[in-house]
Amino acid sequence: MNRSLVTRAVAVATVVGLGVSLAGCSSGASSTSGSVSGADYTGPKVTVDFWNGWTGGAAPTIVPELVKQFNAEHDNIVVKSVPMEWADISAKMPLAIKAGKGPDVAVAHGDDVATYAAQGLLLDSGDIVDGLGYSADDFPEGLFEGNQYQGTQYGIPWSVTPLGLYVNNDVLKAAGVDTTVPTDAESYEKSLAALKAAGVQGEWVDGYVFTGTFEFQSLLWQFGGDLYDEDVTEATFNSDAGVQALQHMVDQIDKGYSPENVPQDGNFNALVKGENAYNWNGVWQTTNEALQDVDFSVAPLPQIGTEKAVWSSSTDWIFPSNKGQSADETSAAATFVKWMNDNSAGWAETGELPAANDVREDPALVEEYPNLKPFLDQLPYAHYETVAPGITAANAEITTAVGEAVLGKKTPKEALDDAAAQADKILEQNAQTYGG
Amino acid sequence: MTQLAPERLPAAVPQPPTRASTGGRRRRPWHRRVPTVALYVALAIMTLAILLPLLWIVLTSFKTDFDAISRPASPIPDPFTVDAYQTLSSGQQPIFRWFLNSLAAGALQTAIILVTASLGAYALARLEFRGKKIVFGMIVSTLLVPPVIFLIPNYLIVESLGWLDTIWAITVPGAAGAFGIFFLRQFFVGLPAEIEEAARLDGASDLRIFLQIVIPLSRPALATLAVLSFLSNWNDFLWPVYVLLSPENLTLQPGLSVLSGAYSTHFGIVMAGAVIASVPVLVLFTLAQRQIVDSVAASGVKG
Amino acid sequence: MADTLLSPAARTSRSARPGAPRRDLTAYAFLAPFLVLFALFVLVPAVYGLVISLHRWNSLVPVHPFIGLQNYVDLVTPGSLTFSDFWSSMRATGIFTVFSVPLLIVVPLLAAVLLNQNLKGTTFFRGVFFAPYVLGVAVIGVIWKYLLDPQAGVVNHLLGLIGLPDQTPWTVDVPWAWVSLVGVTIWWTAGLNTVILLAGLKGINADLYEAAALDGAGTMRKFWSVTLPGLRPVMIFVTTTTILASANMFGQSFLLTQGGPGTETRSAIMYIADQGLAQGNMGAASAMSYLLFAVLAVISVVNFRIQREKA
Repeated sequence: MNRSLVTRAVAVATVVGLGVSLAGCSSGASSTSGSVSGADYTGPKVTVDFWNGWTGGAAPTIVPELVKQFNAEHDNIVVKSVPMEWADISAKMPLAIKAGKGPDVAVAHGDDVATYAAQGLLLDSGDIVDGLGYSADDFPEGLFEGNQYQGTQYGIPWSVTPLGLYVNNDVLKAAGVDTTVPTDAESYEKSLAALKAAGVQGEWVDGYVFTGTFEFQSLLWQFGGDLYDEDVTEATFNSDAGVQALQHMVDQIDKGYSPENVPQDGNFNALVKGENAYNWNGVWQTTNEALQDVDFSVAPLPQIGTEKAVWSSSTDWIFPSNKGQSADETSAAATFVKWMNDNSAGWAETGELPAANDVREDPALVEEYPNLKPFLDQLPYAHYETVAPGITAANAEITTAVGEAVLGKKTPKEALDDAAAQADKILEQNAQTYGG
Repeated sequence: MTQLAPERLPAAVPQPPTRASTGGRRRRPWHRRVPTVALYVALAIMTLAILLPLLWIVLTSFKTDFDAISRPASPIPDPFTVDAYQTLSSGQQPIFRWFLNSLAAGALQTAIILVTASLGAYALARLEFRGKKIVFGMIVSTLLVPPVIFLIPNYLIVESLGWLDTIWAITVPGAAGAFGIFFLRQFFVGLPAEIEEAARLDGASDLRIFLQIVIPLSRPALATLAVLSFLSNWNDFLWPVYVLLSPENLTLQPGLSVLSGAYSTHFGIVMAGAVIASVPVLVLFTLAQRQIVDSVAASGVKG
Repeated sequence: MADTLLSPAARTSRSARPGAPRRDLTAYAFLAPFLVLFALFVLVPAVYGLVISLHRWNSLVPVHPFIGLQNYVDLVTPGSLTFSDFWSSMRATGIFTVFSVPLLIVVPLLAAVLLNQNLKGTTFFRGVFFAPYVLGVAVIGVIWKYLLDPQAGVVNHLLGLIGLPDQTPWTVDVPWAWVSLVGVTIWWTAGLNTVILLAGLKGINADLYEAAALDGAGTMRKFWSVTLPGLRPVMIFVTTTTILASANMFGQSFLLTQGGPGTETRSAIMYIADQGLAQGNMGAASAMSYLLFAVLAVISVVNFRIQREKA
């Protein structure tokens, strides 16, 4: 970016100074803990640690390139990208931030933002958002608010990652079944039955987070249910809709469309190897090299329930407020985020959908990445993660329930009821810890 | 812990065996009942049980991801590719760095243990001082305490020292354990005291006696302790997983876990990582095998 | 070992004779480096952990109210948040310990007896058995996770080739996950116990066997009345360390099954570490670790008594 003029430098210094004093009083579980300036960084050379969970697909190639480009254009900022597993980030980052060893900027999933904000780990990003000129309309519905906690903006949406239906066309052809992609319960059932007659187990269900849990949630919403009540004080995923949703998955096994005991990533591997035909998976798999030699297509999820719905997550920028956080580094980080947003057209290459509406709705995007179109089409009815502090612990119970039902240990109703009971206790504890 | 002492023979020893060959290796008379071939077969089976999985892993590291998951599984990689190794060398996951980190941490912790434990053990074994019983009792009483007790408080202590994500976090707390000092104390106690006492009469200071007499005599025990300490640090998994944060500061064990998660469906790459983590260690082990295993054996027998 | 130019009588000298001059300053100077570490990372944490367990201590919330024994009470009160998760993790650790410890004694014992025969190359074989131990738990976990993968792993493939079921969910479902966890642990650490037991065997005087043979004892009797008694101190050591190691199992569950299915193979250590360090529930997790310690202490004492009375 350009160096600022002298007058702007004074303005920036003032803002940075304010940022320093505000950042200096970060503490406690309250929501206000310093903020990030929206202006360009012009201070001494700093290193910005950037934690992200982009370890798969094309991201490990693209991210370093983007970072390199940014570093080349900015003499006084060196961004260091630190990729690690998403699960590792959520396990380590909070304590790292408290100890002052966390990153200066990171990306997190939507359901983590409220938790981190409530734990006093984040800086208010309102100024950056203003600097970028963003408002809620610039993003898919609900996403902007999902990045707020108690009225303060903490996260800046970066990408959205819905689920979709992956289809192995070779398998359909070889089995001699209709190759039209199913769009509702009836056509889906027909296709699976035909596949079974031809000796193919069409869709493998499992009890793991990235596939089984998200499939369950999509179905839950399709049957008109919801994960939690409005105040997030009670789990509602064990409603009739939930039971129907989980029962549908268990039925796949009972009807012989899916084997039992599918291991983690087993269903995706099977799609690649041509052992099944359908896989409910996230948009990020569109760039998985394993699919390169496979004749596959993607489609919106079939509507099994009474309404259209699909699970989606969002990845959002957050600015940690480390113990002893340097305002310079945060400022430089803000510049990096702005730059990334301006240069995000190529991000679709990683298989994530840019969150900013104008970038995403640009026709050129779909031209270059036609596989993303079915996912884009689903966004109007996509459900994002619940926003509440500590919600991920409650969500973990859902995965346990899905696993237990899929493995035949409990009936869907039992599994969901048990999980809901446990989740309710967690929600209660969260309310106590974070003050609701 | 008790020592095995030769004095524990039964009181009445019958006349010495009259058979000609009794020197050298101890023999088990009843082994002649079982055909030697059967024993060799048993040994061979167990050896294969260990070597074959490792061999399979090496072969897998040269397969493409598709090949690695396909059935029927063939031992021969088809196509044969070094892509996995190339990906690993490209730096996204700094596996060589992890290896060096593990080496450095192992060496550092071993050094700390050897120095602190030998000094302390000398005091416990050879010096009289007020509070000796209490100190020794305290140390011994912690021998059987499970490490999980210390997990959380040590995390907080390490954090407040600013040691998170540094080599100190994975070496210093682990060096505080009682095993080393206890082990060496037992050993020093078994050393004949005459040389030391003679030197003391000659006016040598304790430090001189320690450095010039006790230490040279203790080389086998020190070697044993060094091997055990290094192996223990090398194998450490739980603690580094939580106190090491940046990818380039990881040691090999948590690093491999991260690799496995980052490349979960790319088995070729994960196995290549396992190979890189294993081959140097196995080579070193093969070279020093006798000493290493003898050391470990001695620890249990003397323990 | 120490040089033996001295007479046998002199060799029996032990530590400094009573009545020897006290040298407090020197002694503590020698002990100081160790004691500093010991105090800071063993004594202080032992107390600190106890203190933490008496508070509602969440690492990410600045206020830590004192709640007395509430954390412990919650752990023994059915229906509390931590009760079912903690005890199911204890159950997992219990199952693993009960199945792994006997095998980790018997298999190495047989292997040690085998290696103790007058065969060629036993040093080589001894090295081979021990080798997996130096690889480290993560290498082992990563390797076996792949080999036992129900769809992609070679174990199922081989089973299929010889006509056995080839879809067994080794890493996905119980009870096979237990078989995997115990089996992998044996593959990894049996060599360690073998080596120690072998050294113990070699320490048994051959004359004892001769004496027994002359008394008319057969193979089995010699084993029971010479070998096992002779191994007793080493056995106590091996049993104790193996029980402790199994009770503290973390890596195998973490890497092979991720504690699954659900949380069925989630060991106590996994749960405590996750609750205390990842989730931040330090108060509850500390209480759990002390409870685990209490249970292990009881078991260690019982084990020691049983082994000591065997004579």
